[in-house]
Formats: sequence, C-alpha cells, structure tokens
Amino acid sequence: MNEELDSQLSAMFDDELPSAECELLARRLSRDELLKARWGRYAVMGAAIRAEGGVRLNTGLPGRVSTAISAEPVLAAEPAPQRRERWGNRWWQPVAGAAVAAGVAAVSILWMRSQAVPDAPNLAQAAAPMTTSVVSGNASPASTAEPDSYVVPKTPGRRLVVPSTELANYVVAHSEFSSPVGRRNLLSAFMATETGTAGTSAGSEEPTEDVQDDAKNPQ
Amino acid sequence: MRRTRSSERSSTVALSCFALAWAMATVAVAEEPGKWLERMNQALTTRNYDGTFSHWQGGKVEMLRIIHRVQDGAVSERLVSLDGSGREFIRTGSDLACYLPDKRIVLVERRPPEESLFGGIPAINDQTAKFYDIKEVARTRLNRRDTHVITVSPKDEFRYGYRLWIDETTAMPLKTQLCNAHGKVIEQIVFASLTLSSRIPDSAFKPEVSTEGFQWLRNEAAPPKDPAAAASLVWDALKLPPGFKMAARKAQTMPGSTDPVDHLVFTDGLASVSVFVEAHSQSNASSEDPPLDESARVGSSSAFSTVIDGHKVTAVGEVPPATVRFIANSVKAGPGPRQ
Repeated sequence: MNEELDSQLSAMFDDELPSAECELLARRLSRDELLKARWGRYAVMGAAIRAEGGVRLNTGLPGRVSTAISAEPVLAAEPAPQRRERWGNRWWQPVAGAAVAAGVAAVSILWMRSQAVPDAPNLAQAAAPMTTSVVSGNASPASTAEPDSYVVPKTPGRRLVVPSTELANYVVAHSEFSSPVGRRNLLSAFMATETGTAGTSAGSEEPTEDVQDDAKNPQ
Repeated sequence: MRRTRSSERSSTVALSCFALAWAMATVAVAEEPGKWLERMNQALTTRNYDGTFSHWQGGKVEMLRIIHRVQDGAVSERLVSLDGSGREFIRTGSDLACYLPDKRIVLVERRPPEESLFGGIPAINDQTAKFYDIKEVARTRLNRRDTHVITVSPKDEFRYGYRLWIDETTAMPLKTQLCNAHGKVIEQIVFASLTLSSRIPDSAFKPEVSTEGFQWLRNEAAPPKDPAAAASLVWDALKLPPGFKMAARKAQTMPGSTDPVDHLVFTDGLASVSVFVEAHSQSNASSEDPPLDESARVGSSSAFSTVIDGHKVTAVGEVPPATVRFIANSVKAGPGPRQ
C-alpha cells in the first residue's frame, strides 16, 4: 500500500479528509479487501489511542491490542477456489415491495468510523476477545490453506456446550420467523464461536458505558 | 346578536379544528417511534447492503460481515464470522446453507418456493403496545450520521427490549442494543462500515470457507404424512405468556433427517418463539444431542428442550430462558380435526 493511500486512510479515520476525497476513498474501501483490513487495524489502534486519552477501558488492554493487531484477520481479495455443491434451482419468488424498494435504493455509500468516543469501550472489547486467540491448526481446510484467515478464540474457565447439529437446525429454522433485528442478533450469535454456551450468559465486560450514556442522552 | 352568535360559532369551529389538528399531530408524534421500527424492518429486509459490524455478547465480541440483496424478488444474504469460527450462513432464494467449519458440516435446507422469508416476520400491531413501551428518546449523531434513538422497553420479564440507533436517511439500524427487562444491555451490534449498493454481484454470496471433506446434511423431501397420524395429534400450547399468539404452524424436515418435525411459531409482534415437536426415540439420541430438560443459549436467545408424551419438544427464541421454558412446558397434543 503506498504512503499516500495510507496517509489518506489515516486522515479519513481522523475525520480530516475533505469530503470529496472521503467519498472516493470510501468507494475504494468498499471494493478493496486489503484496504478494508487496514481500516480495521486503524479502528483497533484508534481505540487504543483513545484509551490512552482517558476513555475507560478494560484493564490490560494495550497488551491485548497488540496481540489483536498481529492476529487481525485478513479477508482474501478473491474467494479461494472451492468445491461447492451446485444448487440447481433458485426459487426466485416475488416478494411484495421488495424489488421496488431495492430498485430505488440510491447508490449511497456510508463509511462510518468504527467507533466514536462514547463507543470506544465497545471497540476495545472487540479487541479483547482476541487476546487469547490462537491460530487454529485443525479447524478447517480453509485454515490450512490460508492460515492467516481464521483464528479461533479460546476463553478458558467457561463451561461450553458445543451446539449440536440439531440445535443448529432449530436456530436456522426459527430465524425465518424472527423479526429482522432479532434474526440478525440470533444468527450473529450463532456465527460466534461460543454459541450454545450453557447456563447464564455471564459476561463481566458489559458495555455499561452505553447504558450510562443513554441515561444522560442529549435530546 | 346574530353576528355575535355567528362569531361564536366561527370561534367554536376554529377551536374544534385546532383541537382536531392538535390531536392528529399528537397521534402522529405518538406513532412516529413505531413507524421508525417499521421503516427499519423494511430497510433491513428490502435494501441491498454490505456491512461489517461488531457483535458483543457476554463479554465477548466478534466482527461479522453481512451482505444482503433483493433482486428480482429473491432475497440473497450472507453472514460470515470474520474473526472467530469462520462460520457462514448463506441464503440464496429458498436455499439456506450454514457452513460450520468447526464441525466440518454444511447444513442445507431447501424451503418450498411458496414460502417467502417475509411471510413469517412478526408484525408490530396495536397489541404490541400493550407489552412494550416504544419511545424516541433522542436524536443524536452516530459516526457522523443523524440517528433516531428508539427504545422498546418490555413491560414484563417474558421478553427483551431494544435500543436502536436508526439512520435518519436510510432507516438502517446503525447500532442495536438488546436489553433485559431491567434495561441492562445484554447484546449489542454496532456497524463499523455499511455500504448501500444498487447492485451486489452473485460472487458476494459464495462461501469463503473450503468445504472439502465436509459432511453435507440436507433436508430431504418429507415423506407423505400418514393421514391417520396427522389427524390424530395436533400440538398446541395450552398456556402462553401474555401477548403471545400462534403465528404459524407447519411440518418440515430438518437437514440430515427424513422425520417430519412439527414447527409451531408464537409471537407477540416483536419477539418470537419456535417450538419443534418430533417423535422422541432414545436410539436417535447421540452424544452430540443437548441433554433433555436442559437449557442452552445462543447468544442472548434461549433454547429449552423437554420430553412430553413421548415427543421431544424444543422451544427456541430471542426471549429470556424463562419464556422458552414456559412455552415448551405448556405444549400438549390434542386430537386433530376429524376428517
């Protein structure tokens, strides 16, 4: 990546890039996976910098951030050649209003900075789980082929239940009847490594700052 | 005198008009938060978008990417874990595929073409307001975007609430918090990037994970149901938490199985719970199965499984554990309609 692009990216993250250039760079970001990965690293670094500026973060963050940066996953620019089952028919079915709405959707690009200051703790938490990440050596063929692509976080000390295939089936089937937001939450959680965690969802690192922020949210 | 009466009548009419206008304005304002939810649902289901977001739950955060496209009336969607399990969920039309690299399994479900994704989505209605307080609490900037902050607060502990930062221009939820009945945040999604495109290529919906050596589990066509058996048992919930009603009932087969499963869906307009009923056989149980009469969690969503009248009953939903337990335990088989 050339220095000029790097500089532009940095300026964009710092909200110092002129809007016209910002839009151009955003378009490029939407196409360039390597650039996206670089942006992700800026987000993590930004959280660390903001933390040093006094934002309340979890203890031990700086060390973990460095681990996170080194373990930052990189999306392949092009999907690796794969052997996939070919789906014969696609059931192109009419959905009321959907085509119209999609058709009129403007070609608008939002490129948002990963976290504003009030959300910095959340980003810090985004870095946190990677602290115990190790590169999986036997997770999948993809991991073998692209060792930098996947990391499998390990969080010792929690009782885990690997979700059964049956539960996975139920989750997918149920998601078809969830509200759009509920569905996204459910499937996102299912995609996460520790789906099926038994017992209570005992997490000590909660975005309490958000609750506090909301309580005093300006009108 | 006549002029005076006329003047009084005019004043009365003016006041009435004013009162009517004020009342209408009040109603409009009152409806606004609910309208934002409707717009958000429409945006999530009908727009084309490609975004990366962080998902926080239980002290753990993962980055995920979501790509959603509606083209020629067909919905395509891909959700992929970027830094965790590498799992992917891909929908293309009526085909759902779930790639689980950690289990080296691909689940494939082909849904009947007449079933659309949007048919089963809960709809916010007048009843919903009885069980949730829906308010706009702020208009604020989030990542340089103007957003409306809408809170959906449950009135009891049978359901969760939401706090949503909805983009004023696109109605996309840029930040979502799932809260328990006490307002405590238990799950959060925040978009780091979001691109709304008029076109998204087919290549965006191809899995990144190699499936070589994976086991593919598909749902086979359901065998014709024995009419006598079908008529003999109809499953229903004898008692439901306030506000929940049955929204759908269907028989379906699950990937990797040919046995039909009764799928019941209950919703209060926002939250929904699925109940799956299948014949219980010890021989079908494997070490992988969750223990019976035990709860499981999928993020903040809950699952509860038990055995009732020789059938395995499992309730799954984005509700508190007590709610799935309540519903699963109240499911009973009744005689079916006479032929």
